[in-house]
Parts: sequence; structure tokens; C-alpha cells
Amino acid sequence: MEDFVYFFSFQDPNVAMVVAGITLLSISAAMVGTFTFLDKKALLGDAISHAVLPGVCLAFMFAGSKNPYWIVLGAFITGAVSTYAIEWISRSTKLKEDTVIAAVLSVFFGIGILLFTQLQQTGDAALSGLDHFLFGNAISIVYEDLMVYGILALLVIVCLLVFYKEFKLIIFNPGYAQSVGLPVKRLKLLFNTLLVMAVVTGIQAIGVVLMAALLITPPAAARFWSDRLKIILLLAVIFAVLSGIAGAYISFAVPHMPTGPWVVMAISFIAFASFFFAGKKGILSKWYNQRNYQQKIHRDHLLKSLYQVRERNAAPLGKADILELFPGKEKETKRFISKLKKEGQIEEKSNHLLLTPTGLVEAKRVVRLHRLWELYLAQYLNLAPDHVHDMAEKMEHLLTPELEAKLDASLDYPTQDPHHSKIPRDHDL
Amino acid sequence: MITQVENPVLEVHDLTVSYGRNPVLWNIDFTLPKGSLAGIIGPNGAGKSSLIKAIMGLLEINNGFIKIFDQGLNEVRKKISYVPQRESVDWDFPASALDIVQMGTYHKLGLFKRPGKAEKALALDCLKKVGMEKYRDRQISELSGGQQQRVFIARALAQQAEIYFMDEPFAGVDISTENMIVDLLKAMTAEGKTVIVVHHDIHSAPKYFDWIIMLNMYLVASGPTEKVLTEELLEKTFGGKLSLLSDAAQLIKQKGFNPLKS
Amino acid sequence: MTFDPNAFLIILTGTLIAISCGLLGSFLILRNMAMIGDAISHAVLPGIVLAFFFSGQREGIAIIIGAGLLGILATIIIDYLSTKVKLQNDASIGVTFTWLFAIGIILITVFAGQIDLDQDCVLYGEIAYIPLDLIVTENNTILGPRVLWIAVINVILVLLYVGFMYKELKLTSFDKQFAQTIGFSTGFINLSLMGMVSYTTVSSFEAVGAILVLALLVVPPATAYILTKKLKPMLLLTILIGFLTSLVGYYLAYFIDGSIAGAMASVSGLFLLAAILYVTIQKRSIGKGIIMPAELKR
Repeated sequence: MEDFVYFFSFQDPNVAMVVAGITLLSISAAMVGTFTFLDKKALLGDAISHAVLPGVCLAFMFAGSKNPYWIVLGAFITGAVSTYAIEWISRSTKLKEDTVIAAVLSVFFGIGILLFTQLQQTGDAALSGLDHFLFGNAISIVYEDLMVYGILALLVIVCLLVFYKEFKLIIFNPGYAQSVGLPVKRLKLLFNTLLVMAVVTGIQAIGVVLMAALLITPPAAARFWSDRLKIILLLAVIFAVLSGIAGAYISFAVPHMPTGPWVVMAISFIAFASFFFAGKKGILSKWYNQRNYQQKIHRDHLLKSLYQVRERNAAPLGKADILELFPGKEKETKRFISKLKKEGQIEEKSNHLLLTPTGLVEAKRVVRLHRLWELYLAQYLNLAPDHVHDMAEKMEHLLTPELEAKLDASLDYPTQDPHHSKIPRDHDL
Repeated sequence: MITQVENPVLEVHDLTVSYGRNPVLWNIDFTLPKGSLAGIIGPNGAGKSSLIKAIMGLLEINNGFIKIFDQGLNEVRKKISYVPQRESVDWDFPASALDIVQMGTYHKLGLFKRPGKAEKALALDCLKKVGMEKYRDRQISELSGGQQQRVFIARALAQQAEIYFMDEPFAGVDISTENMIVDLLKAMTAEGKTVIVVHHDIHSAPKYFDWIIMLNMYLVASGPTEKVLTEELLEKTFGGKLSLLSDAAQLIKQKGFNPLKS
Repeated sequence: MTFDPNAFLIILTGTLIAISCGLLGSFLILRNMAMIGDAISHAVLPGIVLAFFFSGQREGIAIIIGAGLLGILATIIIDYLSTKVKLQNDASIGVTFTWLFAIGIILITVFAGQIDLDQDCVLYGEIAYIPLDLIVTENNTILGPRVLWIAVINVILVLLYVGFMYKELKLTSFDKQFAQTIGFSTGFINLSLMGMVSYTTVSSFEAVGAILVLALLVVPPATAYILTKKLKPMLLLTILIGFLTSLVGYYLAYFIDGSIAGAMASVSGLFLLAAILYVTIQKRSIGKGIIMPAELKR
């Protein structure tokens, strides 16, 4: 707890610096990531983040120390080379894009590992910092790092905001972008540059191995809350910043904990929560709607059966008779009977269940929809009367009042269904 | 205008099919006599390919059933053959024309068994029937569109089936290939095989097919060509969708689940 | 150069691993599933760590089963995210494997000191130490390096798998719909391939690490794919490239004193580059008279 207060009061300038750094890089990564996600190129970010490793190692070899300028330059160069390599190989061979991405990713990373282990063998003392580039260590960020990575991240953010409209257009409608005279090729080059830069800003804090998650997961989570680009961008940024700070805090509070994996854990948690609980698109709400629909079907069937008894002038049904009509669903049926009673749709008189006037209107509606759809199938889809029941049974629960009106009009307000049963109307008795 | 027949080879009964949450076919109900060369025609998005995919068990059925030779699909798989759209596969796949045709013999081999001499001879014979014996060792990406389609037809022949379903076999092929395939299909139906073809060209349909199935999300007509190719039915098929069906489909799409699934 | 038994053992093990990976990887790339291979190789990590921790040993079926199951689980999660949750496919892959890999790294850090596994081993394995880790029976007979035996068993199982399932793998890779219509269980065949990839990843983990195994899964088959026209030659060439990758990779690592696994990945990349250049130059020298396959499609 003490750690927590200490960390989040930002009284320690080092902590404030780390938080500032990780906030900036999370914003730039999430923003660039949103565009690559919507462009369905999410895994390109994964390839680039692995591919910066050889550049980091080469920079080490040249500079002989953990010099942020050299490292950013080296990482940027190999990252850019990898994007170019992916494009070139996809263009000049029959290899499919995902194979090319996997190949470039693993080869560049292999070269990086080869150089990395070579550096380890030489046993350079300054090397201790190199480990951090694999899985990230936000706490090791010093003032000089913040200046380099922070300014780079700011640059990415500003560029994306300036060219927001253009990037939006080339992702959603590249053909149109070309036709209105946008320099699509140059904009794409600029975007790829920003993508590589966004990856590079994250390598010290998050690490090359897991940097991809900060590009891919925030927009994936945000996408479930909105369909509008601006809101997706904003949410992705918020998710990324929250996870970034959470990861930095854990590696601050727990010694030897790398930052990257914890950032990924936090952002993955947000993502899975979004997949399940997000508004209309979440799994939970889909599941809930489906269950509601099943219940509506059962309710409609209950009302319908009471109506049919009435229509045939048969003896009214008791509770036991109704339970028999729906074998295996006794519990639900009982629940619905009491629910419909409460709603005033049915009433119990001398052990018989009867429709109240409001219940009758509702029951008639269900029966009417069923018979209208049967008639529609027979008239417009040329179906024999004995073929129309099954689909009408499904459609009667689905049709809205607007569709009912349209259906009625296109059948010219009929009075009989194909089986010569009367189509019940509200005004008849 | 739906002609039903006695003892059909194919019976499609009240079939409703969705692509994911999108209903694409409503209450399709027809029967087909043995030995027909049947064309399925209709506008784009009418559900032509979906119909044969549903018959082949590749799409989920929401309502109704299908019987082939009065049996379910799993009992008669060895008697049916399916030719998918040419673009549905990657022609860069490392295989020769002969390799692809041999795939037509796989269903008769058991699990783990490899094709042997008999299968190879059969595959070669089928390549010959489509005039492709010269290209047996050609890699399939080096074949033209028409030649690729011939290879697909040869693979179907190698299945030695009784009933054939072909999805747009004339799309993007040269005229000589088209004529060759038509002649081949006519010869096959003369031998008592049944062939159902998804076709996009209304003008050549009467020349090719003796039975026509007209689709526009629902079944407009099914019957002998001369009976169903009328102006009125063509207008119904190609003159726009039934707006109520489109509205209902839209309603279902918005649901987030498919309420037609039972 | 004199015969160096250590070098021989390392190259042999590397070759066997490259063959197992390459044969399965061939089918992965033909199914456009290379990145699924990436996902599996990352996702087995938490399984390996937990199995290490609970079984307290390196050998043993527990690790292979535990981690192998996690690889299959990863493919199931990816499938669930893209079909049920309706997240786009590339993001489903990216979200799933980064998450599982992060869990693995955290577990390693938490269990540090309790298990004989570190972050370096995860990244590039320890193929160089293979000759030191021997299986010794109770009466002191030395049966050879443990990791070599794991690789031998792995390669035998992969060869049997590809041999027996050749026809099924070939057809489902080329034309899944057709395969389904003739009654092949495409779902089962796919899952069996994912299972074999997971198992191979786990078996190769100690030697080459979790990430570089991807290079062996994808790069040699990709090289063979652009140089051949039929499946069998492609598989045979993959095997040959696997051997050469191991051989040249070993000496490259030896001369610059770095990780052998890293060197193998680098060398495989060189072979791929050479193949691409060869094909491009050949295309140019043939001239523009021939229609290229890409233009034939559609």
C-alpha cells in the first residue's frame, strides 16, 4: 500500500518521469495500432516489433553502450527494413502475406538473437541494460531516455492528428483516396514510418517481444464499444495508458518484474472484459438477448394455445392441461403462467386459465402473424399449404408491427389463411 | 410455377438457409427427375451457390431437409460430386493437374490409404475426357482459367458419381471450354446421370439445360425449360427482390443471433 | 577439420528438429496458417513453465502433454474469438498469443530459482549444451543426449503422421470444401495438425526456444515452396534445407560465438533470400511474354 501511495503521488521525480514516458508511448502505440487494426494488418506490428532487435544490438556494437540515440536509430532502420522486406517478398513471390510476415519476423528476430548472444559472450559491463529491451523495464527509464522516446512518441501522435482525415480515407476507401488526388503512396510510406516509430518508442519500456500487444489489443478491445473511429481511437488510447501505467507500477513494486508482460496482462484483461461485457457486441449481451428470445417464444406459445382453445370453442384448459402441452418444460411453463397472471394477460377462474381482454389482443397478434406469414409464403413463394407451417412458427415471434403492417398491405388485408382459418383482428369478438 | 416429380433423385423440402446470421434462402421446395441437366439461374445474391452448398452440407440449414436418392447426405456421399467455384481455391498450390484429378478418387480410398495404379489410370482417363492429357504434369498455376476449370470437371468425373453439383463452371472460361463442358454434361445426362449447374448467363440457359430452377432468395420456378422460361417468371426472378423477405432478413441480421435456428 | 562428436550431435539434433518443424510447417503455410504457428509457439510457454514447476523435472510426459494441450487451447481460443466473438482473425491471433506468452514470462519470473528455466532459454534454447545432458541408465550405460532422443521420437512421430495423413492433409489444404463434401472430417484433420505443431514446438523448445522454432516452421518450407511445383518435391526440399540450415547455422554460431538457434534462423533467412533472388532473376530472364500465375487468377 505504501508503494502504491508513493508511486501514484508522483512525489518521486523518477516515477513521474516513468509515468510520463509510458503514457506517451501508450498513446502513440494505441493510435497507430488502431489504424493498422482497422486496415486488417495487425500482425505487421508484431513483425516490426520483433524485427527491431537486430537494430538495437547493432547500435550497441557501434556505440559500445546503451546510448538511446543510437538505439533508436538502429531499431528504426531494421524495423523499416523489415516492413520493406515484407512488402517486397509479397510482391515478388507467390508466398502469402501471413507466411511472409512470419518468415520476416522470425528471421529478423533470429539475427537479433545471434547478435545479442554474441554481445553477451563479449561480457560488456554496459550490457546489463540490453536485457531490458527483450521484455521491457519501464523503471530503468532515465531522463535522457524520456527525452528521446517521449519526443518520438509525441511526433507520432502529432503526425497522426495532422493527417487524421487522410489516413482514415486511405484505410476505408483507398480507391477513392487515389481518385481525389491524395498522394496515397507517400501517405502509406509516412504511415509505415509512424508505425515503425511507434514500435521503437516502446522497446525499452515494454520490450520487443511483447510490444505488438500494445498495438493490437487496445483497438481490438475498443472496437467492441463503438463503431466510430474517433471513439475507438479515444478508448484504445485510454485502455493502453491504463495498462501501461499498471504495468509500470507492478515492475516498480515487485523487484525483478519485467514491465512488458504486466502491461500485456492488463490490456488483455480489458480486452477480454470488453469481448464479453461490451454493450451490444459483447458475448454476454448476445447470450442474454438469445435467452430473452427463447422466453418470448415460450410466452407466445402459451398465449396461442389459450387462444386456440377459445377459437375452437373447446373446453377451457386447466393448469395441468397447459403443463401437458409443453412436456419437459413444466418449470418454465409454471413460471410464465404466474408471470402472465401478474401482467394481467391471463386469469384463473374456477381452475381454468382464461385470456383477459389484454391477453386476448396479444394472443391474437401472435396467431395473426403466424397466419399472415403462412399466407405470404403460399401467395408469394408459391408454397403448398402443408409446407408453410414450420417457418411461420418461427416468424410469428420475430415480426415487428411495421413489418406486420407491410405484410398485411401486400396481402390486401386478408381474412383467411391458406388452411381457411380466420385471421384474427383486434376489432372482432 | 413449380413442377414436382415422382421418384425424384433430389428432393429439397422447405429449405431455409442462412449465411451466418443472414438468411439467404427462404422455403426452397422442389424435386428433380433423374437424368436432368438442370440450371440454377437468378440475379447476384439470389442464393444460387448457397443452395448447392446447403445441399452439400457446407451451410447450416435452418428449416427443412434434403433427400438424395431418398436418403440423407451421409448415406449417399459416394454417389454425389461437387465442383466448387474455381476462385474458391488457391491455384498456386504445389500440385499438378493429375494430382488434382486424383483427389476425385480419395473418397473411395479408406483413411490412410494412398491412391494406387488403378486410381492413377482412372484419373488419366478423366483428364483425357476433358482434353487435358497433355497437361497432366503441368503445375496448376500454369494453366489458363479454362484449363483449370477442365481439371475441376475431370476431378468430378473421377468421383464416378450419380449426381453432380457444379458452381459456376462457365465463369471466366473460354468459349471452347464452355462448349466442351456442355457437350460432356449432355453426354453424362444421356447416360442417366443428373447434373445441376449454377449458371449466370440467362441467354445460353435454354440451349444448355432441360430443367431450370429460378431463384431470387426464394424459389420462383422449377420445371422443364420450355415451361418455365416465360417473360413473367424471368421478370419475377430478375426484377428485384421481395421487399418483405429483405426486411425480415435485415431484422434477423440486427438480432445478434439467428432466431431461425431451431 | 577433425571429427567433432559434439558438433555432430548438435547438428544432428538441429537437423531432426528442422525436419519435424519443416514438414508440419509446409502444411501450415499451404493453409495460410503461418501466424497460427507463431501463436502456438508463443502460447505453449505457460504450459511448459507450469509443467516444469509441478513435475519438478525436465523430462517426462507431463511437460509434453501439458504444453501441447495449451497449444491446442490457443488455437481453440483464436477460433472462438474470430467465429463467436467476431473479432477479426489477425487480431484474434495477436491478442491470444501475446496474452499467453505474457503469462508464461510472468510465471518464469515468479518461479525464478525454483525451476531450471530462464528468459534466455525461452528465447533461444540451449542447443549448445545438448551433448552435456545425457541419459544414464541405472547400470551406468550412457544412452546419449536426452534432447537428441526427444528429437528422434518427435521426428519419427511427425514422419508417421505426415505419411499416414498425406492424402488428407493435401486435400484439406488445397480444397477444404471439396474435402468436406466427400466426407473428410476437416475439423479433426485441422486439430490433429495443430496438435502435432504444438507437440513439436514443445519438443523443440529446449533446443531452440519458443520464438525461433517459428523460423524453422515457416522459413524452410517457404523457401521450398517458391522453388518447387509439387508437394512431394517441396517436402523433400524442405528436409534438405532443414539439414543445411542446421549445418551452416552451427558453424556460423561457432565462428561468431553466438546462439546456435539464432544462427539457424539467420541462415534459413539467407536461404530464403537466395531463393527469392533466384526466382526473380529467372522470371526476368524469361521475359514478359509468359503470363504470370497471379494474372491468371480471376
